[in-house]
Amino acid sequence: MSAWLAERRDLAAQSNALLPVPTLSDEHWRFTSLRGIDFDAFRAVEAPAPGEIAGAILAAGDHAGRVVVRDGGAVVDELSEAAAAQGVAFGSLRRLAEERPELVEPLLGTIVGYDEKFAAENGALWTDGVLLHVPAGVKVAEPFHVAYEIATEGAAQQWRALIVVEEGAEATLVEEHLSGLPGYANGVAEVQVGVAGHLTYVVVQDRCDAALHFAAHRAEIAKDGLLDWAACSTGARTGKTRMETRLTGEGATGRLSGVYVVDDKRHLDLDTTQEHDAPNAVSDLAFKGVLLDEARSVWRGVIRVAEGAQGTDSYQENRNLLLSSKARADSIPGLEIDTNDVRCTHGATAGPVDPMLRFYLMSRGVPAAEAERVIVEGFLEEALERIPDERIRVALTEHVMRRIPS
Amino acid sequence: MADLVIRNLHANIADTDTEILKGIDLEMSRGEIHAIMGPNGSGKSTLSHVLMGHPGYEVTAGEVLFMGEDLLELEADERSRAGLFLSFQYPFAVPGVTVANFIRMAVNAHRKGGPEGEDDPIRIPEFRKQLQEAMELLEIDKSMSSRSLNEGFSGGEKKRFEILQMAMLKPSIAILDETDSGLDIDALRIVSGGINQLVGPDMGALIITHYQRILDHVKPDRIHVLMDGRIVRSGGPELAHELESSGYAGIAEEVSA
Repeated sequence: MSAWLAERRDLAAQSNALLPVPTLSDEHWRFTSLRGIDFDAFRAVEAPAPGEIAGAILAAGDHAGRVVVRDGGAVVDELSEAAAAQGVAFGSLRRLAEERPELVEPLLGTIVGYDEKFAAENGALWTDGVLLHVPAGVKVAEPFHVAYEIATEGAAQQWRALIVVEEGAEATLVEEHLSGLPGYANGVAEVQVGVAGHLTYVVVQDRCDAALHFAAHRAEIAKDGLLDWAACSTGARTGKTRMETRLTGEGATGRLSGVYVVDDKRHLDLDTTQEHDAPNAVSDLAFKGVLLDEARSVWRGVIRVAEGAQGTDSYQENRNLLLSSKARADSIPGLEIDTNDVRCTHGATAGPVDPMLRFYLMSRGVPAAEAERVIVEGFLEEALERIPDERIRVALTEHVMRRIPS
Repeated sequence: MADLVIRNLHANIADTDTEILKGIDLEMSRGEIHAIMGPNGSGKSTLSHVLMGHPGYEVTAGEVLFMGEDLLELEADERSRAGLFLSFQYPFAVPGVTVANFIRMAVNAHRKGGPEGEDDPIRIPEFRKQLQEAMELLEIDKSMSSRSLNEGFSGGEKKRFEILQMAMLKPSIAILDETDSGLDIDALRIVSGGINQLVGPDMGALIITHYQRILDHVKPDRIHVLMDGRIVRSGGPELAHELESSGYAGIAEEVSA
């Protein structure tokens, strides 16, 4: 291992050793209990079985590159010749940290630091993941695809991603999290969108109901850059995802869309930020969730507007449909504004399907069950329709609707 | 027997003792236009909702026969498929569902019939053609069909889209609840024109209205005056003009006298 990487792991390990496992008294963990989870029971699996993934939702079709990280390591690591010829670097982060340190060393650990327990643990222990580096001015039409899969019972998967779209570059990255077996996933994604760069980033979390999923995704968007970020969660027993966006340059735009369907006794916790550090930037967050059975969701979102970020336009909404009287959704929006001349708005709701709306559909001849399904689909469609790629949008719509009982 | 027979219909607001309909009797058939007029709070909208099966009311006495069937035994969707239609006073926005998809779903539900019915979805070109014709009749811009139904629509647009749905579903009896409210003169002319074209041997209309304005465009065969949950007067078209001059107060005096 390179000295710089060993040093960085050491730094993270030191932080990890000092940080306690969060409890309900920690502000960001008020609604998500980790009691009863024996993290030591999971183990790293260094030699994963090769072979293709099963159960991916967006793996079909042509890709500019594909990586499958199974348990602790990449088992598929491909980059199309066309994308390689454009100067794109894409593939296993473990491999590329050695082969292309000039792309990894300057950024790794600088966007998501080691000051939080799970991020620190990941910084010390990550085994593989993905690097996407799109050089300035390069536009790649076909999406890149990465799947993180737990394929060994009890595996701990510490994945890490570094995603860089340089000045004027354009790319789409699709990231899927899967597991058919109980396991523990803890990951970090660091994202940088350069000046007038454009990244479409689609993250799907569909791990099985015995898996634990923790992730910290953090993006920085430079001047006039655009990040179109869609997150879809339908899996894991307990999931806690940080999805943070920092607008560092004037005129940057973050479009943050979320869709989740949570059933059974699953628990999903989403923690978002929209950090405006530059003037005239736009961030627009819309998260929509459907809760079934005894499921529980928590969304906690903060808009932070720094001093000097005049002309900020920021919006956040979280709307939840409760399809069971035992389901629960908590929304905690927050505004921290240190400047004048900003427009920040938010909204949050949780409730059952409006019986009057159902009656309206039924009055047109549509049976009650179908009416309810149509209302749910229409509700989620409002977030899904923000996904620019039609193939992805259609596949995700079908995927989430399969989780709604008919 | 008439297509729609209402006998001694009583209804409360669900789970309360508040009685809104206090014994309604009315008969009408396809090919006829009836109007129910009455002041605010007389129970006009309640009657339309109760007939359609609104969950916010419960029928406490009386019966309703529709095309010979016991209407009150049917769920709202079954009533629709049996040929009853309600144009809502306050239509609901249906987020994420386009006008075209919404109406196609309704048309297909009607083609399928009951829960055990065979799926027989309308072919899309045929549906598009029918929808386009109906939209032309109501002077609705083609581009509107890809918008979410009623979302961000003006009051007048919503009413037009109610009549558009009526035109596509071709009910036997259509209840038009305050369809004229929120319409400007031009929109009223267009919507009334649509209603006139659709009413005929296969369709009757029950127009619920506060004002006689719409009745200048859609000529009723019978007018019923509803006050405090009861029909207190029925008569021919001339009754609208009497109301126009003496107001509901005049009728009230006459009834109590």
